[in-house]
Amino acid sequence: MIVRPTVALIAGAFLVAIIAFLGGASTGGPMAAQMDRAAQAAIAKAGGKRVTVSFTTNGGWPTRHALLSGAEDMDEGTRARVAEAVASIPGVGGVNWADGSMVAESNVVPLTPMHCQEDVEALLQARTIRFEESSTAFDPASRELLDEVAAALRPCLGSIIAITGHTDNSGSEPGNIALSQSRALAVEEALMSRGIPGNGLRARGVGSSKPVKGLLPADPANRRIEFSVITTVPLAPTPVDTPGPR
Amino acid sequence: MPIWFELLILLLVTYGIGIGLGWALWSRGIAADEGFEE
Repeated sequence: MIVRPTVALIAGAFLVAIIAFLGGASTGGPMAAQMDRAAQAAIAKAGGKRVTVSFTTNGGWPTRHALLSGAEDMDEGTRARVAEAVASIPGVGGVNWADGSMVAESNVVPLTPMHCQEDVEALLQARTIRFEESSTAFDPASRELLDEVAAALRPCLGSIIAITGHTDNSGSEPGNIALSQSRALAVEEALMSRGIPGNGLRARGVGSSKPVKGLLPADPANRRIEFSVITTVPLAPTPVDTPGPR
Repeated sequence: MPIWFELLILLLVTYGIGIGLGWALWSRGIAADEGFEE
């Protein structure tokens, strides 16, 4: 009898699959039970009271991947210790929490790419953008400050930055709103002339409605310009070796 | 992932490598024999 090679190959693969299934089914149970005992000891040692561990898949098969549960109210440090203790048991393939969180909290400080608002606030804490009285013309010292503000905003290019003008409550409110609006627009234009794209800037004036906390509405220190980053743009990876369509 | 499935992947990969190596050596042997005959 001549057996075709393809049939022999498929039959061989089928045989291998049967061996794998039988082998896994017979050795998987004791293997998972042994890891379960070791994991319970490790959890108790790591201080994870009430944490339960399961080495069973949703379908009921023994697995090397531990599923931890019962630690929803525990602090991240203890959760991380428990997960690491279980992960270090020989044979354990991976550790997951039933409530979906990661194995352990990373010690890496989260990246805060948008620090330009803090930079601008620090600049404006000591100095203020000042205008000529009842005018939208900057005083000379403020031009230098605007250069520094533009430089501080540059890392946030692509974000939406709000420029809000404020006044004190001298004069009529409609006049104050109009003045604060035109001053905010003057700042927007000044920033655009310093290379900040205008489509990312939003200027508005609120008159004397929002005085500085702790100051009387009549205090001249309420005449100010505030900057706030209202929409941040997530950091996109630099496109490398991604050829476009022809 | 169940243990039997991990074992299945491991054994199938081993089987594949075995078949591939066997076929390569066998076909080289046939070629060498043919060359010798000529």
